[in-house]
Amino acid sequence: MTDNTNPEFAVDESTDDPTTDDMVTGTDVSESVTSSGATMQRDTVVSAENVSVWYNDDRALRDITLDIPEKQVTAMIGPSGCGKSTFLRCINRMNDMIDAARVEGDLYLRTKNVYDDDVDPVALRRRVGMVFQTPNPFPKSIYDNVAYGLKIQNKNGDYDRIVEESLKRAALWDEVSDQLDQSGLELSGGQQQRLCIARAIAPDPEVILMDEPASALDPVATSQIEDLITELAEEYTVVIVTHNMQQAARISNKTAVFLTGGELVEFDDTEKIFENPESQRVEDYITGKFG
Amino acid sequence: MATESREREGFGHVSRTVGVVFRYLLLAATLFGIVALTVLLIYVANDAIQPLTADPGWHLTFFVTLVVPTVAVGGYLLRTDPASFKFGGGVVGALAVSTMFAGGAAMIFVDIVQPVTWFGYVLALAVALAGVVAMERFDRQLPFLVRSVVAGAVAVLSLWLVPGLVRSLPVYPTDGLLLTASLGTPVALLVGRYAAAAAGKRGTALAVLGGVALVGVGSYAGPLIGVDPVPATVLLSVAVLPTGGYAVGTVRRHTERRPGLAFAGVILGGAVVGAVAVDALGFTGPQSWVDWGFLTSAHSGTAADAGLYPAIGGSILLMVTVAALSFPLGVGAAVYLEEYAPDNRFTRFIGINISNLAGVPSVVYGLLGLGVFVTYLGQPTGTVLIGGATLALLILPIVIISAREALRSVPDEMRQASYGIGATRWQTIKNVVLPRAFPGILTGTILALGRAIGETAPLIMIGAPNVLFSLPTEFSSKVSAMPLQVYAWASLFASDPFYRAAVPAGVVVLLVVLLSMNSIAIVLRNKYQNDQ
Ligand SMILES: Nc1ncnc2c1ncn2[C@@H]1O[C@H](COP(=O)(O)OP(=O)(O)OP(=O)(O)O)[C@@H](O)[C@H]1O
Ligand SMILES: [Mg+2]
Repeated sequence: MTDNTNPEFAVDESTDDPTTDDMVTGTDVSESVTSSGATMQRDTVVSAENVSVWYNDDRALRDITLDIPEKQVTAMIGPSGCGKSTFLRCINRMNDMIDAARVEGDLYLRTKNVYDDDVDPVALRRRVGMVFQTPNPFPKSIYDNVAYGLKIQNKNGDYDRIVEESLKRAALWDEVSDQLDQSGLELSGGQQQRLCIARAIAPDPEVILMDEPASALDPVATSQIEDLITELAEEYTVVIVTHNMQQAARISNKTAVFLTGGELVEFDDTEKIFENPESQRVEDYITGKFG
Repeated sequence: MATESREREGFGHVSRTVGVVFRYLLLAATLFGIVALTVLLIYVANDAIQPLTADPGWHLTFFVTLVVPTVAVGGYLLRTDPASFKFGGGVVGALAVSTMFAGGAAMIFVDIVQPVTWFGYVLALAVALAGVVAMERFDRQLPFLVRSVVAGAVAVLSLWLVPGLVRSLPVYPTDGLLLTASLGTPVALLVGRYAAAAAGKRGTALAVLGGVALVGVGSYAGPLIGVDPVPATVLLSVAVLPTGGYAVGTVRRHTERRPGLAFAGVILGGAVVGAVAVDALGFTGPQSWVDWGFLTSAHSGTAADAGLYPAIGGSILLMVTVAALSFPLGVGAAVYLEEYAPDNRFTRFIGINISNLAGVPSVVYGLLGLGVFVTYLGQPTGTVLIGGATLALLILPIVIISAREALRSVPDEMRQASYGIGATRWQTIKNVVLPRAFPGILTGTILALGRAIGETAPLIMIGAPNVLFSLPTEFSSKVSAMPLQVYAWASLFASDPFYRAAVPAGVVVLLVVLLSMNSIAIVLRNKYQNDQ
C-alpha cells in the first residue's frame, strides 16, 4: 500500500536492524507482561522495546514492550494517568514537542528505529496519522481540511478525487458533498471528528493513532466512529486509546492494558483479555473493582 | 402579638452599607471619565461645526427627512429584528468609513502617485503572481530552492521592467480607465466573490465583471456631475463597490436580513432628500469650519482661510510608511518570540523589555529618531521617511505585544493537528497559525496606528515643519501632520480666530479619522470573536 523506501523518512536503512523475531527473546523485562499468542500470523508494524518516558523526573511509562500487528485495531485501555496518551505520542514522536518529556528505549516502525538520530520526525509523522481526543479541524473549508495533508506533503495526484475518497471512507461524504466550501468548524462535533479522520487518512499513512476519538461524542456519533474504525482496519493499522471498555471489546483485535504507574500489565488478543485475563489486576480493572 | 413575635424571630440584617457606597463610588468613577470626555467632544464639535448658525428651517427639514424616519424605522427594526438593524447600520457605517478612506486614496492618486505609475506596478505584481501560480501548477515537486529563486527572479524582473515599459508606451488610456483596471479590478475580484456568495463560478464572474463595469462607467459619468474621473473611480472602487458588495453578499447569505437594506435606504435617502430640499427651499446650513475648503486648502495666515490639506496628506503618507515598517517588523518579532524562541531567561528578559518600551514617552522616541536618523545617519530633518520610521519605532512594541497576544490565542490543538499530519514548523505557522491569528494581529496594528496618527512630540523632535503649503510627494520630502498643524495653530498663530475656527476644526477632523480607524479595529475584533 505504501512504499517503505520513503527516502525522507530514513537516511540509511541499515540492514542489521533488529527484526520482530528478536522481540520474542526481549520480552523478559516484566513478568506480568504476557507475550502475545497471536492466533493469526500478521506482520508487525510498530514494535516497542523497553520504552520508558520521563516528564522531568517523573516516570510516566516503564519499560513498555509490545508489537502492534498490521491492519488490525489495537486498543489501549487503563485508568486515567497511566500513560496511554504518552505511549501513543511516542509512536509518532509528538513527545518531541513537550520540552519536559524524555524517551528511552527503542521503537520500531517496520524495521526502522524511529528514535535513531537520522530519523526526521516530520517525515515519520507523514507515515503515521493521528486523530485527537477533541475534534480539531482547521478553521478552513472542509475541502481544505482534508487536502491539508496532501498540500503540505507536496503529494501529486488528483486532489479532488482523493478528498472525495477520504470523505467517503470517513463516512462523511453524503453529509457534506454539496458544501465542501463551508468551514469545517460549522459541522457538528461528530462530523468534525469524522472530518479529522478523513484528514488523517487522506495522505495515506501506514498507521493511524487515535486518542480517545469518541470521548467527546454522543452514542450515535460514537457508534458511527466505531464502525468507521472497523472499516479502516481493513487497510490501515489502527491504534486506539479508549476509556470505554465495551468499545475496546467491540472494535479491537488486540488490547493492551496499562495500569497506574505506567506499566503495561497485559497485552493479548482482545477476547482473551476480556474473558480470561492472565493477571488478577487486569481482571479487577476490567470488572470494575479497581481503577 | 403574633406578628411581633414573628418579627423578633426573623433572620435579622447583614449590613451592606460599605458595599453600596463602594458600588456607587465605582459608578461615579466610571461616569466621570465618560462624561468629561463627552463634554469636551461636544464643546469642540460645537466650536468646529457651529450647528446653531444654521437656519431653523434647515434643522427642521433634516429633522423631518432624516431624523424622524431613521428613528421610526430604526426603533421598529431594533425591537422586531435586531439582526437586520445591525446589518442596515453596518451598511451605512461601512459607506461612511470607506468614503473617508476613498477621500484619502483619491488625494494620493490626484497629487502624489500618477495613475500610470500605479497601473505599472499593479501590472508588474499581477505578472509576477501569474508566473508563480503557473509554476506551482506546472510541478508541485520542484525543490524549494528552485521555486523560491524562480519566484524571486520573476518578481524582481517584472517589478523592474513592467512599470518602465508601461510608462514608455506612446499612448495610454485615460487615467480613469487605468485606475479602473488597476484599482477597480482587484477590488472587484475580492468583492465579487463575497457578493456572489454560493452562486458558482459563473455568478462570481458576473459579479466581478459588473463591479469593473460600474467603476469604468463611473469614470466617464463622474465628470457629468462635476467629479473628476480620478476621484470618481477611486470613490467607486474604494467606497461604493465594497459597501455594495457587502450589502449584496450579506442579503444573499441571510435573506431574512433584507429589511436592513430598507433601513440603510431610509437613512441615505433621507440625507439626500434633506440636502436637495434645503437647497430648493433656500435654507442655509451651519457655518461649519470643517467644510470642503478646510479639507482641501493649505494653511493661511487668516484663520477663516486656513486649511488642513497638506497635513491630511502628510498624515496619510506617514501612516503608510509606519504601517509598512512596523507591521512586518512587529509581526516578525512576535512570530519569532511566540513560535520559535525557547522559553528561557533571555527571551523572558526580551519580553519584559518590550513591555517597558511600550511605556516610554513618545518624546523620547522623537529624540531617538533625531539621534539615529538625523545626527548619526545624516538624513535631512523632517522628511516622510524619518517621521514614519520614528513613529514606527514608537508603536513597534505595541504591535509586537498585541501580535503575540493574537498568536497565543490560537489554540494549541490547531498546532498539534498540523504537526500530527507531518507539517513542519514553518508550514504550521504559515497555514494554520498566521491565518487564524491574522484578524487579531490586524486589530492590534490598527489600534497602534491610531496611536501613531495622534503623535506630535516625535515629529517636533525630528524637525518636521510646522506649516507646509503643499503635499509631500516623495519619501524624502518634508512632511507635516494633522496634530502638528493643530499644534502650530494653537502655538505659533495663537490668536482668538485660530482658537475659535481652525483649531477645533482640525481636532474634529483628526478625531473623526482616529475613531473610524478604531471602529474598523472593533468590527474586526467582534467578527473574530464571533468566529471562534
Ligand atoms: N506534558 C506533560 N508534562 C508533564 N507531565 C505529563 C505531561 N503529559 C502527561 N504527563 C504525566 O504523565 C502521566 C501519564 O499521562 P497520560 O496523558 O499519558 O495519561 P493517560 O493514560 O492518557 O490518561 P487519560 O486517560 O486521563 O488521558 C500522568 O501522570 C501525567 O501527569
Ligand atoms: Mg490521554
